[in-house]
Amino acid sequence: MRQALCALSRAPVRTLRRQRAGLLVSADDLTGLADRRTFRESLAAALAEGAPAVVMVDLDRFKPVNDSLGHPIGDALLCVVAQRLRSAVREEDVVARLGGDEFAVLLRQGATAERLAERIIDLLSRPYLIEGHLVTISASVGVAIGPRDGANAVTLIRNADLALLDAKASGRRTVRMFRAALCERARARVSTEAELRRAIALQQLELHYQPQINLETDRLVGFEALVCWRHPERGLVPPGDFIPLAEEIGYIVPLGEWVLRTACREAAGWAGGLTVAVNVSALQLEDGDRLLRTVAEALEASGLPGSRLEVEITESALARNEGHAARVLHALHAMGVRVSMDDFGTGYSSLSQLRSFPFDKLKLDRSFVSNLSESHEAAALVRAIASLGASLGMTTTAEGVETDEQAGLIRANGYTDMQGYLISRPVQAGDVPALIRRLGCQGVAREDLEEK
Amino acid sequence: MSEDLYKIVYCSRNTTETGPEEFWRILAVSRGNNARDSLTGALLFSNGSFAQVLEGPLAALERTFERIQCDPRHAGVTVLQFGPIESRTFPDWSMAEAATMSVTADGAAAEALDMLRQLVGREAEWAMAG
Repeated sequence: MRQALCALSRAPVRTLRRQRAGLLVSADDLTGLADRRTFRESLAAALAEGAPAVVMVDLDRFKPVNDSLGHPIGDALLCVVAQRLRSAVREEDVVARLGGDEFAVLLRQGATAERLAERIIDLLSRPYLIEGHLVTISASVGVAIGPRDGANAVTLIRNADLALLDAKASGRRTVRMFRAALCERARARVSTEAELRRAIALQQLELHYQPQINLETDRLVGFEALVCWRHPERGLVPPGDFIPLAEEIGYIVPLGEWVLRTACREAAGWAGGLTVAVNVSALQLEDGDRLLRTVAEALEASGLPGSRLEVEITESALARNEGHAARVLHALHAMGVRVSMDDFGTGYSSLSQLRSFPFDKLKLDRSFVSNLSESHEAAALVRAIASLGASLGMTTTAEGVETDEQAGLIRANGYTDMQGYLISRPVQAGDVPALIRRLGCQGVAREDLEEK
Repeated sequence: MSEDLYKIVYCSRNTTETGPEEFWRILAVSRGNNARDSLTGALLFSNGSFAQVLEGPLAALERTFERIQCDPRHAGVTVLQFGPIESRTFPDWSMAEAATMSVTADGAAAEALDMLRQLVGREAEWAMAG
């Protein structure tokens, strides 16, 4: 079968040779399509003559095919994709493989680009038979039309790429045309990225703390640390607005370490043995040894007992690291650190995961709490999660409690703790002692706190 | 490996104004190609949809299916069955025309034809999946 595919894939090489007779042409070894350099040169020539379009194509779900069926099947699939692309365009158009599962079409009649893009998505999303396997993938496409969207080859290719990213972000199997706003968005992102990378050095990050209270005693049990960015122009940026970017660019690892060290240092001075909860990302969990080292150093430097630190991990972070996550969590336990599952109910956790990971606490996702009084189903799930936690001996904390009614329902359903605006918004480190005095903490009389 | 027998059953939606003449032309071309490639099977065109059984050596089957995929005259290709088989269902037909074959077919072939007929009658169901 491999031979058959290669025989078929020779056709584009011939076409290419005919097109560029007499010129030095480089081609992609696997598919025989033009490579990136040839594509760029052909585009530059086409721009000098008319109004060509760049149609950028990226396969959706190619990686799982490669991973599950093996690279030879993945390569054979890429060859068939190359043929389908070739079959969709005219002889005069150039089809290139830019690398991996990314392809590009140079369309000399740029005006027809959007229609062609739709056809490409339809064609590439049809089933494939590859060496006895039935394979289904789809494609996302970005289009930029010259000279309107870019007067030179490099700009036009970059703008088609931005349109492709937009297509991928908007749910795949779709086509997006380039527009100027994409450029601005990309620029803003690049500058935010650069600023974020400097945020720790410029001491622009600070931790805010949101209190958690025990529902039986109505006293404080601890705080969750939330990292905020004191941006010189944008003011105080909440974590939701920059943590996803930090995760994407890998900056979450140093940022997460800064959070761990700072939270331990600041919490060490709190009265009454209150705990501090710190969010740990999937990337940090992936490098488990480094995480364990950071935690040990943060505890040692601050003098905070391990039992007063709580590490919060989301279900999706666990799902990505299932293999060694249990080992890391057990090692944290061995240092006395408590481990809680964050945003419970929104990810992919199964009941068996709850048994194999040593969680001390389940944190019910805020979305359940906000729907609590409206939907019977939400109320039933909230109850079920509480009894699940109780029977596994875990603390159960409801997040995002904003009204007395919600607090009443949470209490009635057997949760042990709650957190939310009803008690307090997150406060700056300097305001924590006053909040501790106001709310009083578990096991310490209010009068004793006043004296401190 | 490439001499192993495989079978595929698929449906697709007609995207052009295919009349009876066009359909017979498709059938004639596919019979010629299939005879050359030792492929056999049956094709049904009805209700604006195609349903086809194609069987034969894996390499030829995959090549032919890929050619069919790139044909702009249909869309919404949905594969219902694909896998190895012990023996052919339509050993004597390079491409049977399913609509007029009911009288002569028996056994496995009659069952397969029945399935094709049911498929084109339930276009809404399989088209959703594709």
